[in-house]
Amino acid sequence: MDNPVETIGIASARIARLAAIRVMLCAVAPALTAIALGVLLEPIGDVTWTQLGYRLAPERGAVLSQALIGAGIVVLAVGLVVALRAYRHANDFVAAAAELDDRLDCDQEIVTFATLADPSAPESSRARRTPLFPILWRRAIALFVGLDVRREFRLEVGEPLKRSSIFAGVVALAMVLATLGLVRAPTPENTEAAKLRAIAEEIARTSTSSDDSALAAKIREAADALENSKLPPEEKKKRIEEAMQQADKAAQKRDNSRSGKNQGTGKSNAQNGNGNGKSQGQGNSAGSGSGEGKSGTGAGQNPGGESSGSGKGAGGKNSGKNEGGKGSAKNDKNDQNKGDQSNIELHDELAKAEAQVETANAKNPAPNNQPGDDKNQGGANKPGDKNEQKSGSMPDPNRPGSIPKPGANGDRNIPSAGGNPKNNKDMGSNLGDTHLGEMPTSTNAQRFLKPGEKGAALDIKDARYVVFRLPGAPSSGSGGKPVLDTDRPKATTGYVNAPLAPSSDDAPPDERQLVPPRYRDMIH
Amino acid sequence: MGAAPQQASPDQRVADFRKIFSRAESEVARVIVGHREVVRKMLTALFCGGHILIEGVPGLGKTLMVKAASETLGLSFKRIQFTPDLMPSDIIGTQVLTEADGHREFQFKPGPIFAHMVLGDEINRATPKTQSAVLEAMEEHQVTVFGTTYVLDPPYIVLATQNPIELEGTYPLPEAQMDRFIFKVVMGSPKPDELREILSRTTGTAQARIQPLFEASRAPRAIEDLKALVREVMVAEPLERYIISVIGGCTPGGPGAIPEVSQYLRFGPSPRGAQALILCAKVNALLAGRVTVSYDDIDDAIVPCLRHRLLRNFQAEAESVSSESILEQVIKRLRKPRT
Repeated sequence: MDNPVETIGIASARIARLAAIRVMLCAVAPALTAIALGVLLEPIGDVTWTQLGYRLAPERGAVLSQALIGAGIVVLAVGLVVALRAYRHANDFVAAAAELDDRLDCDQEIVTFATLADPSAPESSRARRTPLFPILWRRAIALFVGLDVRREFRLEVGEPLKRSSIFAGVVALAMVLATLGLVRAPTPENTEAAKLRAIAEEIARTSTSSDDSALAAKIREAADALENSKLPPEEKKKRIEEAMQQADKAAQKRDNSRSGKNQGTGKSNAQNGNGNGKSQGQGNSAGSGSGEGKSGTGAGQNPGGESSGSGKGAGGKNSGKNEGGKGSAKNDKNDQNKGDQSNIELHDELAKAEAQVETANAKNPAPNNQPGDDKNQGGANKPGDKNEQKSGSMPDPNRPGSIPKPGANGDRNIPSAGGNPKNNKDMGSNLGDTHLGEMPTSTNAQRFLKPGEKGAALDIKDARYVVFRLPGAPSSGSGGKPVLDTDRPKATTGYVNAPLAPSSDDAPPDERQLVPPRYRDMIH
Repeated sequence: MGAAPQQASPDQRVADFRKIFSRAESEVARVIVGHREVVRKMLTALFCGGHILIEGVPGLGKTLMVKAASETLGLSFKRIQFTPDLMPSDIIGTQVLTEADGHREFQFKPGPIFAHMVLGDEINRATPKTQSAVLEAMEEHQVTVFGTTYVLDPPYIVLATQNPIELEGTYPLPEAQMDRFIFKVVMGSPKPDELREILSRTTGTAQARIQPLFEASRAPRAIEDLKALVREVMVAEPLERYIISVIGGCTPGGPGAIPEVSQYLRFGPSPRGAQALILCAKVNALLAGRVTVSYDDIDDAIVPCLRHRLLRNFQAEAESVSSESILEQVIKRLRKPRT
């Protein structure tokens, strides 16, 4: 190379390229790591948290996956921009000369040459050349003899990759932390949905008709609905019902297609079994009380009135379907038997899913339920209901809508003073009292003796209140003249009716003798 | 040895410079034992077109050294012993009434300042008025007497000496005048070996004879050509920025000033200091066989070029912090720009 300017230019371009590559290397590893983790999140989950019994909700997994992929793309884009800037920054003629100067130990001869020979520099810088510049030119040529720019400026990937791997590790760690925060132990709904999806996959894989594909899609929808916490239970059940109907339809078509070989009895049995099971389940879930006799499992598991219905419904379906499945299996070939088995399994899983929905609904009723809106509960708690399952019939006091109605059973909750003598010692009342303090109960109140009555003298010592029941005016007969009752008992001993100060409206409020409302009817 | 011709190739001119410089050092070394650095700085100052301030006790051979250098280079030499009663006219010269052909007229009698190499011995003993007369000649390379300006023939170099002791009754040079010297070099006492050599040479019968490098008539022109060659040495922009950063780093409150500078200095070097740095670095580069200045060339020039341009404060004097130590700190801490 005779032209040292070209040599410096080549070195400058190579340094710039290396700078850009180094920057990209720093960005590529974390970006690719993020993208790979995002793409392979599901397989990674299958071998990690799923194996450990945890589950990442599909929507959360999708968000995490998209976030990782997005982050990877952003890092790539940023790396590209930074690499471009690094390229522009490193593509400096004088800087490349300085780099060469350092490597060749030239005492700033090359950098001085570059400042005076920079092609991109203004003409003024060239005007600074002196008569000694030819010496410098020849000196630069001599210095560049044997210089291999590629060998001198090698791509050293070690340091960038080391830095890059640190960033990639940070990305992976962030992914792990995010996953740890997002994974949950699977709920029964999740488990059921997973089973449904597996069945749907199997159906889709072995599908031979459009009906099977539609069935698989319906099952997937049902599985999605089952896991979707935002959907109301009715909607979930509706989706499951739709899947069931689709399964029935597919099974019917399949049976129809078995022209002569299939026996009608088996098919009809299967349908009947399905029909019976479903109708039982629906009836029970509505709380109509039609299946009270078969509800051992449901009642034992859940205290709510609905639980018995759901348990029964599932059981009814299972039995019906199993019978039908067996009936058809006896008359079919192996593949048909297999199809029926899967159909049975599908129905079983769908029924379980429906039961899960009802169970979950019973555990977590809608928060906007109003008292009286819950038909199931209302039906179960009707007085006189034949349903003897007290555990299921008792209203949950913590549930909305379970507040006792004052007219219906409110008196049960209020202890009666006279009804239970054992509780008479309790001078208080759960209804509360006034600020005047505890009041004596009416039953134990001492009273003045009636005329002619004999008994213990009235001990009003320390009494705080005395209730007077004043006798009515003596009857004077028709048109008679009122006369004084001279035989009325008269006090012979003076006593102070303390603290019965005359209550006066003029008295200040704190001095008034307020009478609790419950005793007001005793004062005539 | 002939002068380096202007028409010679650049390579030849650079080679001649190195050869002349080297031979000049060798010739001076015939009569001056040791002090090679001082001799080098004296020759550097000559080729830079500057003046030099030499500080040292009497009897170290300052006068002999300057005289030997002038003889080597074939330049005229004058010596001025500064005393308190020395007048400017004693240095510059004066008008003398003369009569020739029946006409009386004033004729200018040039003083000792009219020489290529002027040694101002103990310049700090003269009054400021006399000092300023010399310093004006140093800067302008001309003197004005009775309204008439007389140009000093190039090359022109003043070598002033200062005695660091016996400061009573002296007039220390103001900073503004100190700034006009490109270098300040300190002549120390000779080492024992050097002293023995001095005794051997000066107390015997043998007389060292200096071989002039140039004929007296051609010497000024040859020296001027070499001075021009120095100015042709190229400096890259990053190195110019480095010099600027050195000046800024030595200026209290300047950009990049290190803490010691702010702590111990009142004023930093002037732009003249930067000029001195570049010129000295260029000579260093030529002596190294290069036509471009390197960072090392600049670093070697920093202390002799800037030591007398730093104005220390009271704290520095009280703590005996020298300008040289501050400059060394600056050199250590400054980053050399790559581009």
